[in-house]
Amino acid sequence: MGRSRELLRYTGTRLALAPVMLWLIATLVFLLLRVAPGDPVDAVLGSRAPEAAKAALRARLGLDQSLAQQYLDFLGGLLHGDLGQALINQEPVSRIIRQALPASLELSVTALLISAVTGLAVGFTAIARSEGKLDLAGRFYGIGTYALPPFWVAMLAQLLFAVTLGWLPVGGRFPPGMIAPDGSGFLIADSVISGNWAALQGALRHLVLPACTLGLLLSGVFTNALRLNLNRSLRSDYVEAARSRGLSETQVVLRHALPNALLPVLTIAGITVASLIGGALLIEVTFSWPGIALRLQESINQRDYPVVQGIVVVVAALVVLVSVTVDLLVALLDPRVRY
Amino acid sequence: MASAGRITSLDPAQASTFGALQLLSALGDTLYKRTAEGQLTPALASALPEISDGGLTVTIPLREDVLFHDGTRFDAEAMAFSLRRFLEIGTLSYVVGDRITAVEAPETYRLRLRLSRPSSSLENLLTATNLTPVSPRAYQDHQDRFLNDRFIGTGPYKLTSFRAVQQRLEPFKQYWGPSPSNAGLDLIYLSNSTALFGAMRSGEVDVLLSDSIDEDQRLALNRMAGEGRLREGQGPALVIGYITLLSNTPPLQNPVLRRALALSLDRDLINERVSHGLRPPLLSLVPPGLPGGDVEPWPRHDAARARNLFIQAGYCNGKVFDLPFTYRSNVPADRLMALTWQAQIKRDLADCLSLKLDGVESTTVYRQLGEGAFQAVMLDWRGAYPDPEAYLAPLLSCRESQGSFCKRGEAAISGSFWTAPGLERILLQSDRSLGDARQRDLERVEQMAAQGAAYIPVWLVTPRAWGSTALATPEFDGNGQVVLARLQEVR
Repeated sequence: MGRSRELLRYTGTRLALAPVMLWLIATLVFLLLRVAPGDPVDAVLGSRAPEAAKAALRARLGLDQSLAQQYLDFLGGLLHGDLGQALINQEPVSRIIRQALPASLELSVTALLISAVTGLAVGFTAIARSEGKLDLAGRFYGIGTYALPPFWVAMLAQLLFAVTLGWLPVGGRFPPGMIAPDGSGFLIADSVISGNWAALQGALRHLVLPACTLGLLLSGVFTNALRLNLNRSLRSDYVEAARSRGLSETQVVLRHALPNALLPVLTIAGITVASLIGGALLIEVTFSWPGIALRLQESINQRDYPVVQGIVVVVAALVVLVSVTVDLLVALLDPRVRY
Repeated sequence: MASAGRITSLDPAQASTFGALQLLSALGDTLYKRTAEGQLTPALASALPEISDGGLTVTIPLREDVLFHDGTRFDAEAMAFSLRRFLEIGTLSYVVGDRITAVEAPETYRLRLRLSRPSSSLENLLTATNLTPVSPRAYQDHQDRFLNDRFIGTGPYKLTSFRAVQQRLEPFKQYWGPSPSNAGLDLIYLSNSTALFGAMRSGEVDVLLSDSIDEDQRLALNRMAGEGRLREGQGPALVIGYITLLSNTPPLQNPVLRRALALSLDRDLINERVSHGLRPPLLSLVPPGLPGGDVEPWPRHDAARARNLFIQAGYCNGKVFDLPFTYRSNVPADRLMALTWQAQIKRDLADCLSLKLDGVESTTVYRQLGEGAFQAVMLDWRGAYPDPEAYLAPLLSCRESQGSFCKRGEAAISGSFWTAPGLERILLQSDRSLGDARQRDLERVEQMAAQGAAYIPVWLVTPRAWGSTALATPEFDGNGQVVLARLQEVR
């Protein structure tokens, strides 16, 4: 079988499995939410509301139906792209996600860029002076940033740069006195498109602290990955062969060792993106970043089933999408990969 | 201005959070307002209510110069529309209960309420922010459903931009009352106490509300105000912290044991250790300043008397009463209170009582409270309006009882399942009587509650707001909300 046909079959299999995976995740979330203590009707009406009012609301929200019927309704809606309405204020879940997701993506992408650039730069510098002081510092950096608790670092950064020095805003996504530009919800892109430079400046100032904190905390993963893989590549036969052909060390590293060392880093980047989409919770909470993770946390507290289900399903779909894309990219770039 | 809590709905029929009600208080008006000194004054009403028909009919004359933000005129029909809408779909409509049976508009500027029973708390009920009128034209398509992201009322500000995390208010130029002292406000939401504190300290915001500030940061802000680096305003204390004891099953079925627990609590120590003196001890279920709140029927800390009662109940001298004490794990002050009480008991009554602490997230606590899941649990309560009725009825009212066991009613929902013979009758009577007679009824209710000891009041929470020194000190109204229209720069 030709390589392109293999790749096509692999892609088809991954894409065919994606709905099954999403169904499993959606089912699991549905069941876990129903098992968790706490009643969404109490969250809406308060525990003191009369039983009649509670029963009426329960009927209106469909919570009086059997679990099986609720599950079928949920799946039916999902198949039609209907994520339902928030129990708390009857706002469509799709609109809630549309409002919160751009904030999370903006933060995640920026953080990922910062982490990749910083991590790779530190990793590359470290390996250039293998076993020297720079290498040791790179190792410490890699382990340190990975091990530090995100909420602690975030609070320290907040106290230092926002409260003590007053260089950056303490939280939020946009200056209080400004009206955010309308558009896609990606404030930086919307500000650029509308030519609103004051808004762009405001959005960037609010983005710096959470994005740098998150980015630097993640950069250690890239540092370690590059250091290890580049180290391995530099000791391999093909690098020795390149050296023996009289190529300069720079050419050896940049043309032969680095491309091979970067392939595993691409996989790590994919995993990091996947975890970032829904996993920047502590950063979003600390910096009051109105993203999807913060919204998820609030919705769990309120037992707002449709919002939690909707967010989890959308995040899971994105994770699956990113994961498949990265796998395909790696397969395309590395001819050694077999399926 | 910064506060915690995302605003998910601006509909007065739906809003229940501190932030939403604070915002609505600036965007809308109520028929009556209560000043910080506790005085009832007409707002959209032009005079105090006229009571007739043995207290069963209340007629309220209305102002004739009021416009909604959409330019339509406020009149009795508009007020009746808003009240009926609240009674029909309001999530807090149980606050009104079955008191109001009909809302009528006999004349253009006269509103008539038909009551099922005379109610002396009605005037204060009409100060509740949830009863602020909305424009019938703007809410025409939302008579039976909520309008969450807009608000068309009569208040000094109109809403010009709304996002769950940020809102902009601008003065309403055709406002019937005094114009706001500022040119507009931006309200922002920050999700945690550190961010709120940091935003105030760094000067990123001009005003900070205290509803979700941790104790240490509250103290730091209080000290900064003491040093003249901030201005601190205080409102009437309308939030009470209390312990509910499960009184219908052993061992706390025994009132002697409950009284022993009430005596074992050293509120002064807890106030000092937990809040550094910012949460004054409370010995009543009604906040001081409200009728019935000036008495202190619960006993102060007395370890010797507590020990005697524990002995009477069969404990001490080798038999320790292990009490599971639940606190809301997401409320830092409650956790500190639980830890302090546990340590204090260990110091004073280690041979009689031992507290086993259990932190449970608040949503779960409220869900399981009415199921009798907690032997002893720390909670707080804020009345929907400043009246003793809004504190006593939600904790003590009981619709069906057997002896001192409340089977159905507010006391069951509150997790105590406790009542006393005659208590419900006096409670209802206290809402019918007036003046000194009401005061006597309220005192009697509280005496009975203190004797039953199914609840132990712990502390009072005073609302605070901090402003920069460029502003005048933030002022509160009688409902514990900052009067945003009076925030102004100091020249």
